[in-house]
Amino acid sequence: MGTRSRLIAVVVLACLLAVGFASAASALALGDIVKVAGIGWLVTRYGDQIDTFITRSLGEHEAAARGATKVVPILSVGRGAHIGAAQVVGNPENVREVKAVFQVEGRIGSFRPRILVPTISDRVTGNPERAKGVGVSAVIEFTI
Amino acid sequence: MLRRVKLAPILLAVALLAALTAGAAFSSAAISFRGAERDGERVGEVLIGDTAVIVLRTAAAGYLPVERAEIVAGRLRAASEAGFVPQDVEVAPVSGGHALFIGDRIIVTATEAEASAHGAGTAALAQVWRGNIIRAIAPEEAPAAEPAEAPAEPLDLDWTGVAQKWVPIFSLETEGLYLGAAQIAGPTGQVEKVKGVAELRLNFRNVGRVYAYIPVSTISLSRLDRVQGVSVWATGDIGLVGF
Repeated sequence: MGTRSRLIAVVVLACLLAVGFASAASALALGDIVKVAGIGWLVTRYGDQIDTFITRSLGEHEAAARGATKVVPILSVGRGAHIGAAQVVGNPENVREVKAVFQVEGRIGSFRPRILVPTISDRVTGNPERAKGVGVSAVIEFTI
Repeated sequence: MLRRVKLAPILLAVALLAALTAGAAFSSAAISFRGAERDGERVGEVLIGDTAVIVLRTAAAGYLPVERAEIVAGRLRAASEAGFVPQDVEVAPVSGGHALFIGDRIIVTATEAEASAHGAGTAALAQVWRGNIIRAIAPEEAPAAEPAEAPAEPLDLDWTGVAQKWVPIFSLETEGLYLGAAQIAGPTGQVEKVKGVAELRLNFRNVGRVYAYIPVSTISLSRLDRVQGVSVWATGDIGLVGF
């Protein structure tokens, strides 16, 4: 193989690698965009129905929580993206104010805690302020 | 004299007819049930005349709200055919809530789930139903007018709580399977009762999977003794080593 042939092979290989990286990057970004927008849409579209569904299902086991309930998105503090939804429960006036549940993930050795903080904010800014009188009663993973 | 004697049976018959008509005012024909839409949900209503006296929002024991309303209407009808007075309509605590009785007949139970769906306590909801029935059969003896449903009552429960602790999360589907741990929080007395968090997995159509967390006072697969006022703050699991 001559010098010219080697040069052509290197250029072709470089082009293929570049196209491959670009495709992977764009697929990741697109996937994230779809997921973030999709979960927001799913919560808006199905939130009330999921809320009723959970309450009724637990009601059949006589295990429904007393108090007001609502389904809101879960916002990952680490990733800054919507990663699912949560049903929150508590005093009606406080539940009404909740806009999201912030999730903070950690690791202590092999133990992986996941802290769930209902907040009145829908953006990750500084330390999340816990909404008073509200807790989490269910977590929803969307199949998108 | 003869005319008076002839008139007496007629007067007696008229009096009897009037009494029967008054009694029939609360006849079985006046009791009915129906499905209805309230707040975007299908509910079951039990009616006396045109008035909804009991509204059922939740399914129970495999019966939809409207099916429960049919059962309750049947019980109420049977009680009315046997005859009762307002003093016979009572509320008493039963396992899982408060029940409305007519004499020794149970008419309907205000369960925790039903009361929760109304935003009320079980006793308050049952009392509302009692008042509605009395008002329908004897308006002069009824308490002040109330809607068919209990108004949302302020809850004393402090969901954020002052006490916290970690308890195991166990699966309701697979006996003996522990899924990790949950940090729960709430009033001290309530938190002390919690022995674990039951995880119930539910599929919502093809849209998503729900993991419901229920703080319970006994670790049992057959009965969920939910501890009210306690909620989950955090969950945790042990990371497995990958190969």
